[in-house]
Amino acid sequence: MRAKILALLLVAALIAAPLAVPLARAQEQPPELTGNWQQDVIALGKWFQAHGVTKIHFSVQAAGDPNSVMRMYGIVEAANRINKVWADNGINVKITVDTYWESDFKKQFDNFVTQYDLGQNGDFFVNSYIYIATLAADGRLLDITEWVQKYWNSVFSDFYAPLMKAAQYKGKYYGIPQDTEARPLYIRKDVAKCMGWDLTGLAEKVKKGEFTWADVFLKAKEAKEKGCADWGLIHRRGSAHPDLIQFIFAYGGKLYDNKTGKLVVDKTAIYKWFATEAAFADAGLLPRNILDWDWATQIHPTIVGESKAKGGTGNTLFDIGGTWYWTEWQTKDYYLDPHTHQKRPLTPEEVKEKFYYTLFPAGEKGDKPVTLSQPFMWMIAANTGKDNPHYNDPAYKKAYEELAFLIVVAASDPVINAVHSIISAHVPVRKQASALLKNKTFINNLVNLKLPFSQQVIDAIAPIVKKTANPINIEFLANVSYMLDYTHLAPSHPYYNKLADIFKDALDKVLKGEMKPADAVNYVVQKVKADPDLKDNTEIIGEIPAHWSLVPQATTTTSPAAGTQGTATTSPAQAQTTTGKKGGGHTGLIIGTIVLIIIIIAAWLAVRGKGQ
Amino acid sequence: MMARTELEEPLATGMEAVLIVSLLLLASIPLILAYTTLILTSFADTIVSNPWVHFHFTIDNWIAFFRGELSTTRARIYTTSQILWMIGNTIIVAAGVALVVLAGSITSAYAYSRMKYRWRMGALKLLLLLHAFPGVALIVGVYTLYYYTLVKYVSLQHRLLYSFVFVIFARASLELPMSIWILKGFFDRVPWELEWAVIVDGGSRWTALRHAMLPLVKPGIAAVAIFAFLAGWEDLIYVMVFLPPQAKTLATFIEGQLAGGSLESSYLPILAAAGTLYLLPTILFFVFTQRLLMETMSGGVKG
Repeated sequence: MRAKILALLLVAALIAAPLAVPLARAQEQPPELTGNWQQDVIALGKWFQAHGVTKIHFSVQAAGDPNSVMRMYGIVEAANRINKVWADNGINVKITVDTYWESDFKKQFDNFVTQYDLGQNGDFFVNSYIYIATLAADGRLLDITEWVQKYWNSVFSDFYAPLMKAAQYKGKYYGIPQDTEARPLYIRKDVAKCMGWDLTGLAEKVKKGEFTWADVFLKAKEAKEKGCADWGLIHRRGSAHPDLIQFIFAYGGKLYDNKTGKLVVDKTAIYKWFATEAAFADAGLLPRNILDWDWATQIHPTIVGESKAKGGTGNTLFDIGGTWYWTEWQTKDYYLDPHTHQKRPLTPEEVKEKFYYTLFPAGEKGDKPVTLSQPFMWMIAANTGKDNPHYNDPAYKKAYEELAFLIVVAASDPVINAVHSIISAHVPVRKQASALLKNKTFINNLVNLKLPFSQQVIDAIAPIVKKTANPINIEFLANVSYMLDYTHLAPSHPYYNKLADIFKDALDKVLKGEMKPADAVNYVVQKVKADPDLKDNTEIIGEIPAHWSLVPQATTTTSPAAGTQGTATTSPAQAQTTTGKKGGGHTGLIIGTIVLIIIIIAAWLAVRGKGQ
Repeated sequence: MMARTELEEPLATGMEAVLIVSLLLLASIPLILAYTTLILTSFADTIVSNPWVHFHFTIDNWIAFFRGELSTTRARIYTTSQILWMIGNTIIVAAGVALVVLAGSITSAYAYSRMKYRWRMGALKLLLLLHAFPGVALIVGVYTLYYYTLVKYVSLQHRLLYSFVFVIFARASLELPMSIWILKGFFDRVPWELEWAVIVDGGSRWTALRHAMLPLVKPGIAAVAIFAFLAGWEDLIYVMVFLPPQAKTLATFIEGQLAGGSLESSYLPILAAAGTLYLLPTILFFVFTQRLLMETMSGGVKG
């Protein structure tokens, strides 16, 4: 009898064992996130403690200008806050965060991809949203859609909607906006004054689309002709992305089709972009080799400098720049002081005195002004938590992923975001942070370093705060925040970078006079069709306009928006036919033909003479 | 005064010597200017293009570098311990390469010099061929090896250690062929009788190598060690490819500050301090071991 009972118990145990294992595992699962940060942090902390995890290690890889260090210290601060919550609640678990910085964000992306495959990447990757598509498509980023939805009401509804959209790939969230920027058109007030141009109300005219790129051209030409500026327009080097693709949007074009998910080559808008830049270059208003210029020794010194006639580094009326330029000019030796003949940074007062700013004007009447943002994102690596105990256990893996998300939620705190915006001259990504820029108490606290941050973070940012937290700079950021309402984003598409490189090559050829704008558009189309990736992922739309020119084809043109007497000018098409390069080409051909004829005659005479 | 033998090259005299020295100095001007500018800038408050006009002595750049404050706004991008680790990593790689090269080249060179076996000359010639391969050309193959061994056999916790070991061996393998040739030349110059005496006294080959040969080829060993150390210290490509971002060396750190569009965001005087520090071992080695290196170059290599 006893043996029978034992046998039955044994059989029961054997049957129950496989059932019991999932039950036990179910109990081991970490708590689900609820949308209440404090509650979630405590619940997760208790879970870690109960499962024997007392030390958790994360690392953050961030990139950019050194003033943007909050991209990594934001994560450090968030982890410190979670540590404090745990300590206050008697939970004996501690997070440590290692920080890695790379100045070049493209290089950091390359590094992340390589290191991910080797399991040596950081847990948090802070970089441009343009990489979300590539990284998400390859499965290197954590899908946080479910948790974003849970935290929507408490946190993410406060973020600017276009920025949250930029964090998506195929409808799922793979990042949280960290910062963004606008790209104003800067106008030198002293040059405008020299040419007798009253800038009052110009920003409004640009907003209404009344001041277009034709007006920019005419004003630039006038500035140069009156000897007030060495150049009419200066813009970035090296790449068409992101500053110059604003032209596509300003001319009513598009780069991405939401319905098909494909990139778009809008021939009409691209032609107008190239033709606009060609007009500037042909008229000597924009350096032909601007894409080869150097940032530190040519571009910025020309934007902030005095004219060469006054012994300066050269100057310009317009500059297509970014909001971060405002503080960059205050921290770097770009300005050649005419009195001391030494290079030095500008003071905030000098920057304010020198520069007026507007949206990127509409291409033509009827188009809208634009700006372009390239938000940086907090991204969580799909293998986050890999350096911690029991990572291969799915329950622990999920717990590390949830904790990483909670860290990002904490790092998105309005105060952290506002401080980052001020010290790095970026525009806040959420409305509460934007509001803080106009809050005098907050600004006073920032200037006096009375911030709700851990000492480690305060020590790290204190020198930058001292140099950048200036009322003039904060006022500037508050003033440009409206530009986010007009913002466009470059496509978050895996092949967008390839397309942008083709744009750059074509534009370079246009600027250097090696190609006409129409040929350059066809060059772009050919290159796209020749690339197997782009060919299948790009739509080609629109046509090259037949008789389009930046400025109407009249010998005398009035700039209506500017309201001043116009300057005699030629259309870009006309300018092209009268430039020295084109004329020089014809002259060369004629001379070459004459020389060839002379050589043939001489040879004929010589042969004839020898024959006789 | 020693009498000069007829075989010795006569010394240049008078105008000839002045001319030669002047030409050498002229040729060295770009190099001298570059290094002087770098070193002076590391102790100045701005880039020194003209030391008589701009130079104001300061050690602020060095302090900022060790505090990890690399921009004009003194943003703290690295902590002091990260900077120290960076220097430490550079030393680990350099010393590791030197040790591996020494161990490999001493034993191989001894065998090539003292032992006769089939294909000996062929193997020697092959060594020269190996030396001719640029490290960059090999990197794809080396990376493939690294990738498969790392991902397949190394746990996540040990990957950092493995990366260091791998980069040391990979970099050392590039230095080995020439080091073997250099040391073989030194071994060849040691009379066979010395080693024979040890073996007759009952010593093994190993004993002969340790007690009879090594003391006599010390200059060669020192030269090989210095060359290998500097190769590891200066290496950029291998450490950049194989070491993870958390294990920067001085070379990858400086490259990171100069790469892409990041040069304009760097404060060059601080970077000059990093550059000078990076340069230091090279200068020290060449100052203190000039004669040794000349000896190696002039007489160390024999076929």
